[in-house]
Amino acid sequence: MQKIMIIEDDPVIREELALLLENEGYTALVIKRFTDIPAQAARVHPNLILLDIGLPGKDGFSLCAALRKAVPAPIIFVTSRDAGADEVRALSLGGDDYITKPYSVPVLLARIKAVLRRSGGGPEQADLLEAGELRLSMAKGVVSSGGKAIELSRNELRILACLMVHTGQIVSRADLIDALWDNRIYIDDNTLSVNMTRLRGKLAEIGLPDAIKTRRGMGYQL
Amino acid sequence: MTLREFLSDRLKHIALQVICAGLATLFLFATGTQPGVLVILLIVFLLVFLTVNMFDFFQRRARLLELKSILDGLDRKYLFTECVPPPKGLFERKLFDLARLAGRDMIGAVSDAQASQREYREYVERWVHEIKAPLTAARLICRELDGDTRRKLTAELSQIEAHIERALFYARAENPEQDCLFRQIELEKIAAQAIENHRSLLIQNGIRVELENMNRAVYTDEKWAVFILGQLLQNAARYRGPEPVITLSAKPLGKQVQLTVSDNGIGIPAHELPRVFDRGFTGSNGRSRGGSTGMGLYLCGKLSGFLELGLEIVSEEGKRTTVTLTFPTKQNLTKL
Repeated sequence: MQKIMIIEDDPVIREELALLLENEGYTALVIKRFTDIPAQAARVHPNLILLDIGLPGKDGFSLCAALRKAVPAPIIFVTSRDAGADEVRALSLGGDDYITKPYSVPVLLARIKAVLRRSGGGPEQADLLEAGELRLSMAKGVVSSGGKAIELSRNELRILACLMVHTGQIVSRADLIDALWDNRIYIDDNTLSVNMTRLRGKLAEIGLPDAIKTRRGMGYQL
Repeated sequence: MTLREFLSDRLKHIALQVICAGLATLFLFATGTQPGVLVILLIVFLLVFLTVNMFDFFQRRARLLELKSILDGLDRKYLFTECVPPPKGLFERKLFDLARLAGRDMIGAVSDAQASQREYREYVERWVHEIKAPLTAARLICRELDGDTRRKLTAELSQIEAHIERALFYARAENPEQDCLFRQIELEKIAAQAIENHRSLLIQNGIRVELENMNRAVYTDEKWAVFILGQLLQNAARYRGPEPVITLSAKPLGKQVQLTVSDNGIGIPAHELPRVFDRGFTGSNGRSRGGSTGMGLYLCGKLSGFLELGLEIVSEEGKRTTVTLTFPTKQNLTKL
């Protein structure tokens, strides 16, 4: 399991962040004493460090240099200061990414995932999704079932991927729209309906006309 | 100062000199001086008066020109009395001292005002910085709620953030050079960031955003460009029509890059269009839809002036509004 160290002085954010990361399948290592942080880090070997810039006593910038020497883990700066100069400084000091508060949760998780992947420690993004007879290749954008395959558009691919990740669960239309916006596909409700109809048509072509069920008033289910 | 102005100012003086000369002549004539001598005397008088007055004129004109050039060379005109050499004449010097006292008082008032403005700005920045911690915590806590409540609360939090952002940029717009950092940046990144910042508002209003040819780099300050674009997106969402679509598209214009943000919303009445960048202007749309602060476009105008961004808006009432942002080339930027 990936270990993420949280260096943050606000206790509420610290606890909530730890909870969020635990729910996402990471191990959260929370720093509560802000003395000799590099040594604390060296003891636990985190895979990634979330570092707040505005810490009591020492500021995050100088801490970053010390952490760099102590552990090989990538560092993501998290700060509520949003001056452009700070970002440049953070990245030039060896920070791997820079996120400003208040961040949205999906953005934070996506950045964490990306940095972990870049540093080589993270799992490769699953290229092949499977659910029942359906097999979806994310890289090729092809869905196949029982020897028949069909190409999907970018939007259809994302919709199906979201449903397959939550196989068996009900995914609401709002969740689907959120998932698409996460992937920089900025669609509205009508476009989602159009894409859903097309996706069902394509699934029917490979012999699965009723793969996606509509749960009236709740959403879709695979 | 022209000769005519000088003479008319000196009229009393000259009249006195003429009367004195006349009286002297009359006295001398009465006491038996020969007319020939009197004529010579008068000519000498005239020459002396003329020389003295002309000398005075040229000296004063030279002095005025010198003062004027000092004033022109000053960045802060109110520091004038501190920068000029004091005059020599007694009366002039007294006047000058009075003016200098008045000037000092003004200088004090100005620097007090500047200091309090700077302190206020620092306070606003610190406050914004501090309010972000509880907002972040609130966002994280929101995640534990079920879908619908979470979405509604997140949208409200985003609204709060949008208001805070405007306040921050309002404070920064007073001294923009302090935070400016020009560098090359992908338009796509600016757009994605602006959309992400206002995502809840856009999704809630059922808006589709289309990006066209956005894979172009521009040279600008990222935060400010994101802020400006964010204001435009918020406006497009607030003044949307049925089936709202916002299209962001970029195209090169010589060496510059032009970004157009167009929506199919309710548009702006033609007679209100020239005033949309005015501070506090809300217009008939703002009044009918509510929630308008009259600050968004004002700040856009102000910041884009500083970023040397071209900012133009055209609209057809009931159909569309199109805002065009023209990003300068690196070579053309003067303030770096």
